Amino acid sequence: MKLKHLIAAASISALMLGGTAYAQTIGPGGETATPSSDIAVSDDKVSMLKSGGYKAALLWHDQSDFVNAVTAGATDEFTRLGIEVVATTSAGFDAAKQRSDIETALAKKPNIILSLPLDPVTSAAAFKEAKAEGVKLVFLSNLPKDYKHPADYAAIVTDDLFQMGKQAADALAEAMGGKGTVGWIFHDATYYVTNQRDNAFKSTIENDYPDISIVAEQGISDPARAEDIANAMLLKNPDIGGIYVTWAGPAEGVLAALRANGNKTTKIVTLDLSEPIALDMVKGGNVAAIVADEAYELGRAMAAAGARALAGQETPPFVVAPALTVKAGNVNEGWMESLRREAPDSVKAAAQ
Amino acid sequence: MELLKSISAKLDLQQYVVYLGFLVIFLFFAITLYDDGFLTARNLSNIVLQTAPATIMAIGFVFVLSAGEIDLSFGSITAVSALAAAVVMQEHSMFFGILAGLGAGLAIGFFNGAMVAWLRLPSFLVTLATLGLFAGVARTMTDLRSIPVINDTFTGIFGSGSLFGMPSLILWTLGAVIIGHVIYRETPFGAHVVATGDNASAAQVSGIKVPRVRLAVLMISGGCAGLAGLLYAGRLQAAKYTLGESDLMTVIAAVIVGGTALNGGKGTIIGALVGSLLMGMLNNGLILMGLAVSDQMIVRGLIILLAVAISLRDTTR
Repeated sequence: MKLKHLIAAASISALMLGGTAYAQTIGPGGETATPSSDIAVSDDKVSMLKSGGYKAALLWHDQSDFVNAVTAGATDEFTRLGIEVVATTSAGFDAAKQRSDIETALAKKPNIILSLPLDPVTSAAAFKEAKAEGVKLVFLSNLPKDYKHPADYAAIVTDDLFQMGKQAADALAEAMGGKGTVGWIFHDATYYVTNQRDNAFKSTIENDYPDISIVAEQGISDPARAEDIANAMLLKNPDIGGIYVTWAGPAEGVLAALRANGNKTTKIVTLDLSEPIALDMVKGGNVAAIVADEAYELGRAMAAAGARALAGQETPPFVVAPALTVKAGNVNEGWMESLRREAPDSVKAAAQ
Repeated sequence: MELLKSISAKLDLQQYVVYLGFLVIFLFFAITLYDDGFLTARNLSNIVLQTAPATIMAIGFVFVLSAGEIDLSFGSITAVSALAAAVVMQEHSMFFGILAGLGAGLAIGFFNGAMVAWLRLPSFLVTLATLGLFAGVARTMTDLRSIPVINDTFTGIFGSGSLFGMPSLILWTLGAVIIGHVIYRETPFGAHVVATGDNASAAQVSGIKVPRVRLAVLMISGGCAGLAGLLYAGRLQAAKYTLGESDLMTVIAAVIVGGTALNGGKGTIIGALVGSLLMGMLNNGLILMGLAVSDQMIVRGLIILLAVAISLRDTTR
């Protein structure tokens, strides 16, 4: 919770210092964000990298559609640069396995490691060996404690967290005609990725939509409980106009609750693409919009940041990939842009 | 097929399957991954270091299975112990941290054991319940936060240190295996454990205090999980509620492939060590082969299935 407050405070400071209407996505150490489109390997370095016989390892936290898309983006960029991917792992959210994966991958002597550190504390020791061997580390969304840029790592790359929350708020407000009541289901854990996205939704509604009020707030840590939480929210607020759900997994539970209640009017917005959620959206159900990140672009930017570090070019410490709002009308394009693959058949069929 | 059966019966293949399997897989990786660093001293020692906590949990599990019981909760015990040690060491000395970690393991083991021995509840259900119960406790203890361990002596003894050039995690593994093996094979208690698992009623009749054996094996399992928790905390220089959570399947597979009977009365500590190393070697080699994560899981699953099929064929007939 402390971190959440810290981020909120930092966001407010950024707002005041910048003098702009909105806060922005900030890094775990308060770093300002650089768009991922700025991160590219200059042409003169490409041939040098190609002849270097360099190797990379992708040491992920888990397996998912999102990770697959990040892997595809990273692998394509590494291939373009002649860098071989020698190991790919998944820690299944187990900190000890992540440590083992790093040690194992080091036997292949990679020059670059792309990874999502499971949490700042346990990963500080886990990446120490790789750091000591001069491997260029590029982190996804999280930073080991006390690691300094550029000595210890090349860059952190993540979603444009603030934009994801803000775009979700804009989409929900549009679906509700700019007025009504909203429920806010946020991730109840200290994780700056979800915390920033959730808080951006809330602050956008509060600041930009005076005729919309947040009447119910509920944290969630176990997605399996989403249906119960939504039922309780609907019981207390039967006329609620819209619900924001922190990510697609629990949103599926919220959708189930709305259906069970015969509720066809309450709108849902959530983050990250999911087949059941998208299917409801294209069929004109409760889901108004899904805000997704450009996962493939995230992977590409991670690979480019690692390659730049190898080539002796510094990269800004905190890089963000754009967010995109996916609605019924652009579901195919959205899937392609985010995950670099076609939307699922069921979604495509329903969209026609 | 008949010929194979008769050969395997003569050689008592089941008994040696883990050693043969280990050798075959080792040779396979040694040849195919010769250029990929598999045979380097550092990589081989990594395998032993990485499997140290699971090996120690496996030793406790051999005792429990041999006595005809099961402990599904040791992963949660590991997390609680690691967190207890880390939290205590934030304010107190290493000594109290170790005491808290091991004490938590033994206490939970006692709790499990008391339910099984005195309330006569099935260990499967008791430890299924305490698996969830203590996973919840581990999450509550620090409000899901990871706790850093900054005591260098502790992280040296239980993690990154070494003695006479031998990494401490290898020493812990060796020590635990030797002590476990001696207790299991050379003491009356070990014989009582096996007799209880073989036929509890006959053991009772012959004067063995069966409830006491059941309590003891679950305490041993809790104590081993507690020590594994300390090793994790030392190795990661931090404790987290997820530690040990994913070890249940690995440890069960290691112990069964190692030659311990799932339904009690037969077990081997050395087999469990080799089984655990086999699991670690599979993880290591499949990553070094450059396989995609899903393919690693499929191949690992198939190899474990094959090994279990061979090692259990005799006992399930």
